[in-house]
Amino acid sequence: MHDGGYPVSTTSLSDHIPDINLITYYAETRQTYFSRVSPWTKFSLLILIILLVTLTRNLFILVCLYGVVLAVYAGARLPVRKLFAWYALPVIFVISLAGIMAWNEPGNAIISFSIAGIPFVLTDNGIGMITILLLKALIVVTYSLFFLMTTRYQHFSAMIYCIFPTPIDQIFLMAYRFLFLTLAMASSILKSVRSRGGGLIHSIHTQGRLFAEIFALVFIRSFERSERVHKAMIARGFSGSYGTAAEIPKLRLSEYLFVFFCAAFVMAVALIPSIPGG
Amino acid sequence: MTIYRYNPTKNSHCTHNVKEREVIHVDCASHIYPDGSLGIHDMCFYVQKNEIVALCGPNGSGKSTLIEHLNGLLTPSKGNIAVNGKSITTEEHTDLWREVGVVFQRSDDQLFAPTVLDDVMFGPLNMGLSPDAAKTAAMEALEAVGAKDLTGKLPNYLSGGQKRLVSLAGILAMKPRVIALDEPTSDLDPVHSDIVEHLIFDLKNRFGISVVIATHDLDLAARIADRICLVRQGSVVAEGEPAEIFYDEVLLHETGLKSPQIVRVYLAYCQMLGIAVNYHPITIEQMIDAIRRG
Repeated sequence: MHDGGYPVSTTSLSDHIPDINLITYYAETRQTYFSRVSPWTKFSLLILIILLVTLTRNLFILVCLYGVVLAVYAGARLPVRKLFAWYALPVIFVISLAGIMAWNEPGNAIISFSIAGIPFVLTDNGIGMITILLLKALIVVTYSLFFLMTTRYQHFSAMIYCIFPTPIDQIFLMAYRFLFLTLAMASSILKSVRSRGGGLIHSIHTQGRLFAEIFALVFIRSFERSERVHKAMIARGFSGSYGTAAEIPKLRLSEYLFVFFCAAFVMAVALIPSIPGG
Repeated sequence: MTIYRYNPTKNSHCTHNVKEREVIHVDCASHIYPDGSLGIHDMCFYVQKNEIVALCGPNGSGKSTLIEHLNGLLTPSKGNIAVNGKSITTEEHTDLWREVGVVFQRSDDQLFAPTVLDDVMFGPLNMGLSPDAAKTAAMEALEAVGAKDLTGKLPNYLSGGQKRLVSLAGILAMKPRVIALDEPTSDLDPVHSDIVEHLIFDLKNRFGISVVIATHDLDLAARIADRICLVRQGSVVAEGEPAEIFYDEVLLHETGLKSPQIVRVYLAYCQMLGIAVNYHPITIEQMIDAIRRG
């Protein structure tokens, strides 16, 4: 893993799927201010952000929050262009759900037509709803990626170990590395397909069966690998649980204060009726 | 020491070895997998204190199956295996992993923890050591294999050679009496192969650990092993010193192996000059010496 400042090539299946290798690369090598902030602070803020976007429908607050989160993401020297490419999945997800609900929302009609006598009206409130839901999704996605890309995995795993009860913590701890290996396996199979003129998207119409076979192959190989990993664990006396030795950097006073003020703001949005959406 | 030939069909028990130095004794053990395939068959094998034994045989000859028996991952369907005098088949010997460590062929299967340190600490923690003691043991093991600088790294970003070193450290940290390595230098570049080779010597000479290596790399076996066991169809068919075994071309051919490069070069040299094969060199230094002597 190099530590230079030049762009890093990725190994993801698609430009629109977050690349776990790239995320880990940034988490392990970037040395910005945000990398030094305690993971507990970043995690607390993630919880507060989720609370805030759940509680408020105020467009102004959401736009400001998105701007702040995006600025923080860029300030941590994380790849903004890639972020926009990774937005594809949450955008598709939100539009596929809210896009249906937005039609026939009460409000001023902007577009209206009818099909087979059934009227379809897109109102200003409908568009507002899509915008708000999109903003909420993008805020959480952006901040989650920021959190993952500025927190070293050893701290992340130690947090999982602290937060979750057994066996959930064990599943998380083991699944992460396994995910890397499975993705690497899928990637190598895909490389073999590409090396002979195939491709994930453009071959799917003609070779749908091939992709089903690739999926099955990855599943079977993963199963075999899990058996081998389990065997290697038993060989070292595994008896059902294991932990992690990493120590998570503690919160500094300034971080405590910052989290406190953020929590107060979220409380204010939730409790004070004069703030629209509260 | 001459070549000792076993005859698995006659159920010949291993009675020729020195009992007081014996750490592992495999006595006519057989293992049949659930799918009916034969893993090992009337296998006789032993490991003595402070020696390096190489199990040499072609793919599918039963080397890896035997190694998994030594650690207790598999138990024989027939026959007996004793570690430090205690039978694993007749007595409760559930903590065999404390005494015999296994380094698997694929390091990716062995490294599963989030960081290198966590992975190396895994064994010591299972042994009941406190987190501090486990960390100390892990750091010592990483230092011993020359991988101390990898402590905080993710296993995912290590090279194949580094992964192999960390896998070895994970076993060394448990301070076993015997370490079994399955194809220890496969897929490694020459530099890392050399490092692993020196580490195997270190295990014996510095830490007093007996080493079993399963390999079909006879050049490696010739350089490092004190004793060679030839494995064919699930049984040890012959054993002896490398210099004896590797100059028996008929035996090697029967086992499905080819002589090490040094042996082939020396035999070709003798044939070319029309001189008798008076010496049995198995290392470059020995071959130079043999050529000087004529």
